[in-house]
Amino acid sequence: MSEKNLEKTTAAAAEQEKDHILDIKDLVVHFETDEGCVKAINGLNLSVRREKTLGLVGETGAGKTTTALSILNLVPSPPGVIKGGSIVLDGKDVLQMKEKELEHMRGNEVAMIFQDPMTALNPVMTVGEQIAESVMLHENLSQKDAFERAKEMLKMVGIAESRAYDYPHQFSGGMRQRVVIAIALACRPHFLIADEPTTALDVTIQAQVLDLMKELINNNHMSMLLITHDLGVVAEVCDDVAVMYAGRIVEVGTTDEVFNATRHPYTEGLFDSLPNLKEQGEELVPIKGMMPDPMHLPEGCAFAPRCPYATEACNQSVPELRPAGGTHYVACHAYDDPNFRLRRNANG
Amino acid sequence: MAEKKIILEVQNLTKYFDTPKGKLHAVDGVNFSIEEGKTLGIVGESGCGKSTTGRTLLKLLEPTAGKIIFDGQDITNYRRSQMRKMRTEMQMIFQDPFSSLDPRQSIMQLISEPIKEHKLLNSKAEIEKRTLELMDIVGLARRFVNTYPHELDGGRRQRIGIARALAVNPKLIVCDEPVSALDVSIQAQILNLLKQLQRDMGLTYIFITHDLSVVKYFSDDIAVMYLGQMVEKAPSAEIFSNPTHPYTQALLSAIPIPVVGKEKPPRKLLRGEITSPVNLPDQCRFMKRCDACQECCQNSANPQLREIAPNHFVACHIAK
Repeated sequence: MSEKNLEKTTAAAAEQEKDHILDIKDLVVHFETDEGCVKAINGLNLSVRREKTLGLVGETGAGKTTTALSILNLVPSPPGVIKGGSIVLDGKDVLQMKEKELEHMRGNEVAMIFQDPMTALNPVMTVGEQIAESVMLHENLSQKDAFERAKEMLKMVGIAESRAYDYPHQFSGGMRQRVVIAIALACRPHFLIADEPTTALDVTIQAQVLDLMKELINNNHMSMLLITHDLGVVAEVCDDVAVMYAGRIVEVGTTDEVFNATRHPYTEGLFDSLPNLKEQGEELVPIKGMMPDPMHLPEGCAFAPRCPYATEACNQSVPELRPAGGTHYVACHAYDDPNFRLRRNANG
Repeated sequence: MAEKKIILEVQNLTKYFDTPKGKLHAVDGVNFSIEEGKTLGIVGESGCGKSTTGRTLLKLLEPTAGKIIFDGQDITNYRRSQMRKMRTEMQMIFQDPFSSLDPRQSIMQLISEPIKEHKLLNSKAEIEKRTLELMDIVGLARRFVNTYPHELDGGRRQRIGIARALAVNPKLIVCDEPVSALDVSIQAQILNLLKQLQRDMGLTYIFITHDLSVVKYFSDDIAVMYLGQMVEKAPSAEIFSNPTHPYTQALLSAIPIPVVGKEKPPRKLLRGEITSPVNLPDQCRFMKRCDACQECCQNSANPQLREIAPNHFVACHIAK
């Protein structure tokens, strides 16, 4: 984008930002290890609209979890170094906050749910105590009141109050994830980060937990960043979706825009790789090759070596996000040619 | 019609584990047979006994009861030494290619190990040639021949697992969640590879997975398991177009579909979770979670598979 254009859009951007609970700009996070510098996040731009759910999709190593940890300023350091950028959460830059402010923010304003519920829970405390602990840490409540709140929270996630006195190992995987959700929501945060919350669960249990999360988010007017590799889960739960590749967003828009008017070749590749869209017997179309090593990223577009549409231009420079109609943005040089269409969109 | 050869037949396969609380019914009277060159998908949730079924029919676990007939031979009571010979015929591919590969062996050692173990080839040159050939077959670049598993990504590690299984020229391969640990784009690569190998070598697969979308793409027949029993078994297309057991219906409708803004079938949410497989009563095992459950279910014995349409079997009192 040229400088002039940038100025013009600044005013509009400020207006837009009010609707956003989270705005990540030009975030760069590297892990400086003995073997070399792992470029996990390389100029990430991402926004979450208020009271909406954004799905962050990508493969292992795309930088999804590092993004989540950055929002809480929890990137392990060393070796992690936040090289630049800003993360504005509810009007305040997380990266400028002091430790005290951060502590207040975590849990009160933002809560996080992790993939594996067993490792997230303390095995030697009853679940009631664990929920109450999180309440007492953030709110000025007596132990008794906090425990009452814990029971309330359990009821909210569909667990009988009497089970507040049970330990994590007495619960099944799906129930444990409900407990984790109860802990996350106990301090009534406005923003929830869920990192693969249902990946470790069976499909029928996943459906239950997703339904519960959707309901709680709606009823409590929360916003959510849902990290997942499963496009089915995105379609089920999210309003918006951002596709991440090698530490950058390559496509972002509403789920309708990204699913029904796919723009980026990588997103197209993800859809083509999914077996459940195919009739039986048809060959799957995998994306050739593998994600580049984040220690040795290619010069230009990181996806170019795997991209069926790549041209010489793709190896020259990293493509910036460009508008693709509505709230839809794509980072791909192919659209320098105004007539470019993905195969997926070619026939109708 | 070409002559159909049944390569594997399993009758009343049963595996119980003794636990302090009682008998754990991991696999409880499973029956099926597979034609040569076909794929049977076994689907179910954690704890339904699908992996135990796979392991028991390869006799990696001793069956408690039942019969396993492989290629015309009853192998149920084969001793270890007899089974050793059978291992060249039946192989297994595991879910996690990292924990199933010895980290201290190079790719060359890993792939040549089964060849040496079964003394299929003797000279070093022949073994090396065969190893490189196997690497070509599974799409591993020859330059990796001296690398170790930790240097490779999940997709390539799974290719090693496949090469090891193929090394002994088996007829049957039990694939236990072979792509569950992989990213979707890599998943598709491995699934295509397995399918191509089946076409080229006439392999028979038992494909164990929790992911219905994967088996749909892959299987000729699908068996759905719940608490150690098969509750529905039918040709793949039939089970997806006409799921009959209430559990199969719920399982199918629980898959999140990656489609936005278009008509989707209504969700059928299951209540509760799978019950404990210890000391099961002689009753329908799905009853407590079933929304179609009627009085007759509570008063009857555990339903057995019955044929409701050609080749379509269901174990349910009320299914028609």
